[in-house]
Amino acid sequence: MQSIHERVSLAGNTHSRRRFLHTISAATLAAGAFGFTDLVSLRADDLRKQGKSMILLWMQGGPSQFETFDPKPGHENGGPTQAIDTAVSGIQIAEFWPQVAKSMQDITLIRSMTNKEGNHQRASYQLHTGYVPAGSVKHPSFGAAVAHQIADPAHDLPTVVSIGRPEAGGGFLGVDYEPFIVDNPGTLPTNVGTPVGQDRLARRLEHMQKLESEFASKGGQMVVDNHRRIYDKASRLVQSPLTKAFDFTDESQAVRDSYGSSQFGRGCLLARRLIEKGVTFVEVRMGNWDTHFDAESRLAGLASPVDQGMAALIADLKSRGRLNDTIVVWMGEFGRTPKINPRGGRDHYPRCFNVALAGGGIKGGQVIGSSGPDGSAPVDSPVSVSDLYTSICHSLKVNPEHENVSPLGRPMKIVDGGSVIPGLFA
Amino acid sequence: MTIPRIIRVCVLIMGCLGNAPWATAADKPSALVTARKVDHLIAEALQPGNVQPASLVNDDTFLRRVTLDLAGTIPTPNQVTDFALDPDPDKRSKRIDQLLTSDAYADIWSSYWREVIFSRATEARARIVQDLFESWMKDQLTRNVGWDQIATELLTATGSTKENGEIALIFAHTGEPEEIASEAARIFLGIQIQCANCHNHPYEKWTRENFHQFAAFFPRIQVRPEPDDPGTFHVRSADQMAGRQTMRANFNPAEAFSRMDQNRDGKITRSEVSRVKFLADRFDQILALGDKNKDGAMTKEEFESVPRPDANQPGRGSAEHYMPDLDNPTAEGQLMQPVFFVNQAKIQTGADDLQRRETVAKYITAKNNPWFARSFVNRIWAELVGQPFTDVVDDMGPGHEAQSQQVLDLLATDFVNSGYDIQWLYRTIANTQAYQRQLRTPTSSEGAFAATSPTRLRSDQIYNSLIAVLGEGVVPRSRGQGGTPVERLANRGGRNGFAQLFGFDPSTPQADIIGTVPQALFLMNQEIINNAVRSAGRTRLALLLSQNSDDRDALSELYLLVLSREPSPGETELNQVYLTSVGNRQEAFEDILWSLINSSEFITKR
Repeated sequence: MQSIHERVSLAGNTHSRRRFLHTISAATLAAGAFGFTDLVSLRADDLRKQGKSMILLWMQGGPSQFETFDPKPGHENGGPTQAIDTAVSGIQIAEFWPQVAKSMQDITLIRSMTNKEGNHQRASYQLHTGYVPAGSVKHPSFGAAVAHQIADPAHDLPTVVSIGRPEAGGGFLGVDYEPFIVDNPGTLPTNVGTPVGQDRLARRLEHMQKLESEFASKGGQMVVDNHRRIYDKASRLVQSPLTKAFDFTDESQAVRDSYGSSQFGRGCLLARRLIEKGVTFVEVRMGNWDTHFDAESRLAGLASPVDQGMAALIADLKSRGRLNDTIVVWMGEFGRTPKINPRGGRDHYPRCFNVALAGGGIKGGQVIGSSGPDGSAPVDSPVSVSDLYTSICHSLKVNPEHENVSPLGRPMKIVDGGSVIPGLFA
Repeated sequence: MTIPRIIRVCVLIMGCLGNAPWATAADKPSALVTARKVDHLIAEALQPGNVQPASLVNDDTFLRRVTLDLAGTIPTPNQVTDFALDPDPDKRSKRIDQLLTSDAYADIWSSYWREVIFSRATEARARIVQDLFESWMKDQLTRNVGWDQIATELLTATGSTKENGEIALIFAHTGEPEEIASEAARIFLGIQIQCANCHNHPYEKWTRENFHQFAAFFPRIQVRPEPDDPGTFHVRSADQMAGRQTMRANFNPAEAFSRMDQNRDGKITRSEVSRVKFLADRFDQILALGDKNKDGAMTKEEFESVPRPDANQPGRGSAEHYMPDLDNPTAEGQLMQPVFFVNQAKIQTGADDLQRRETVAKYITAKNNPWFARSFVNRIWAELVGQPFTDVVDDMGPGHEAQSQQVLDLLATDFVNSGYDIQWLYRTIANTQAYQRQLRTPTSSEGAFAATSPTRLRSDQIYNSLIAVLGEGVVPRSRGQGGTPVERLANRGGRNGFAQLFGFDPSTPQADIIGTVPQALFLMNQEIINNAVRSAGRTRLALLLSQNSDDRDALSELYLLVLSREPSPGETELNQVYLTSVGNRQEAFEDILWSLINSSEFITKR
């Protein structure tokens, strides 16, 4: 068992340790009646100040591991795709990723992801929430669950943002953790700008709230209070200077160019701007990875904006000193079949696929697990979805075993099972 | 059975108003009589605690409430005034009957059921059948088909996503037996038995066996894409799986290979498999998967390496249902005989798909199954009165005590006796005093249903109300296609697009429905709404201001238009102070209209 000192040192600085010791009586400590959960809840305020965040680069449709970060040149399963060297000697990736190759010292590749869901929506749901879908429970997305733990609920900006609509939202954690959807990164989102100017909007809001008192006094008090909370949040978003983060006009052309002008590239830049302003979780989505046919002619076009955006994001976070507190996760819902089908594509394959991670305290420049010579199955260090999410929790200093209670009173852990991937962290 | 003459006459009238066949009219309970009994039971329960029930609402509040509930929109200012001036003492009952026969009634409640079913869909493509389901459901409601028949249709449906809206529930879960069992229990019985999927139910008496025996009514449903029609799916019975699965289980590739390799050259070719239809149909697929040297023939080694299709993929169907072995998830599990957990009624394994589904539909809708009527009554009561009998509308299982159990039982019994007549139930509830009481902020000493509770309007109700307020044709022509401002502002898909922003799962407890930031942003800042609240051009407000030069008159008209009531003296004063402080009549009225549309009252049933 860990000693109390080791556990306390998780808080990461002496200030919190002192505070921790103040709060807890010596007797409690002596009795050892103190679990990880208590520790985390005591430190909730500290956590909210630590500014940990996560950026998910979601490859919708299921990207082929052979054409991304686990090429098999020379094996018939590898197809015509060539492998290229990266900044880390001994690690090769597919030819479509020259920019990511240069950032390899900051990246861990996991080539032994393994799962069972081969259906897009079920797998997308599972890879977003950590749970397989069930009609009776709407699981919160992992991003929502993390924001629920570490985001500042009073922040002007939404705590969970997604560029494109994701497969899971706030779930039973409710509307506060529903992702705020951005369709066109780089400009103010829909309806965030006021058509009548800030002064007149403020005047209207004030008058509206005065008029609410009549309904409040006639049995509507609770409704009026909830409505006020939502309108406060909405109007803070319209009025807050932080909202400028959505609008790129103050960003230098050089930085904008480095991310590229694609929707995905601009999404990556927005993600970086938002987490700097205190947003906890941002998802940036790239579609069309479901390459059942003619994969060869499509892959370069699919990979190129992601290659540029992802590499720029990692480099930019690093140069701005944010990489250590921000974990960047590149993944899709599953991988693709080792054998190329007669239509020149690959079909769904959850048994073995790859994921790339950067930042958040992970050790870069390494590969975890292997898919063997033919890429058909993990030959060592298989990593499950729960293992992956438990590891991300570790990076974000979130207790994966924290239990939220579903509306039917069922306690549900943030991550069900799983353990931290050995060797992932420095 | 002797029935007092007055009630008999009443029954005849009600029977006439509903679509009930004359033959059963004599046994049908009268909606008005049942409504009085409900009020009596509630009053009795309030007596010991000396709780004073809230007063009945005035005519304008009643009209707004009942129009939203039964027609999904707000009344027009003229309707409000006419109704208030109507001296007929039975005008409320008459209005209820009138609304129940309107097209709008079937519209709003078919959209309610669409949201009930599809909010929990586990199949993302389920949306392709939503509109079809809604028009199917609308037809059922228009013809006032009994709830037992509707439930039976939903449980036994087969057909395509292009033609058969009744496959909604099955398609929403890709025909998966465990999901369908969970949803059938939740929607038709108000029981959350799926907790017993993985472990015995924590609070109720159901076991894992109970759940999986129930799921065993549904294993043979197949949901497959239509090969000749991309994007279309077909729900059918997979009874042929029974034969195939045995074949597959006994399939030995080595043996099959030597049987098929007729010329003993160590390869099987297309002509050699031509006699075996199962293989001949799939030979191209087999070659693609296994023919490593691309010679168009399969060696024994190549043949054995071909992965066999997995029978347990979602939507494929299966001959029987097996309860998974939790200690060994890859094992086949335990074969389950279909048994209905409520009364242990069974059917043999081996029964075909429609036998199973028709049987379970019979068990579910049987008059002696109390859960079926109770769960429907609980839903409609919750929607109308503002709170269900149980804490959560679709979680009524044995462990959950209902408040006013007697009222629930009375309504459920009479609903069964009405022949599951849906309009009868609405008529009954809307005629109770419980429905017509004022709101009251609940306190701990509050008795059950001594007052009503405010509820959040559903997406379609807000959409219709916005159209009613903002009117048509106010948007500049240069913006392209016509339509009402609200239709236009939803951009894509009109009402459905609007529902993406304002929709919610109607089974959610009211306390959890508090609105969202994007909804607020929409009503606050959306350009078309802001154009429509202008006082210039051909907007409603421009007309209203030109017709009412007196500010007090204009305010009254505006309140009638948006909130279906006159402003209180306090509100008139606040608005007059505002008018003075802004110093510009047009601008100030724009702000007041904006404030009313953005108020919590506008999006609430009160």
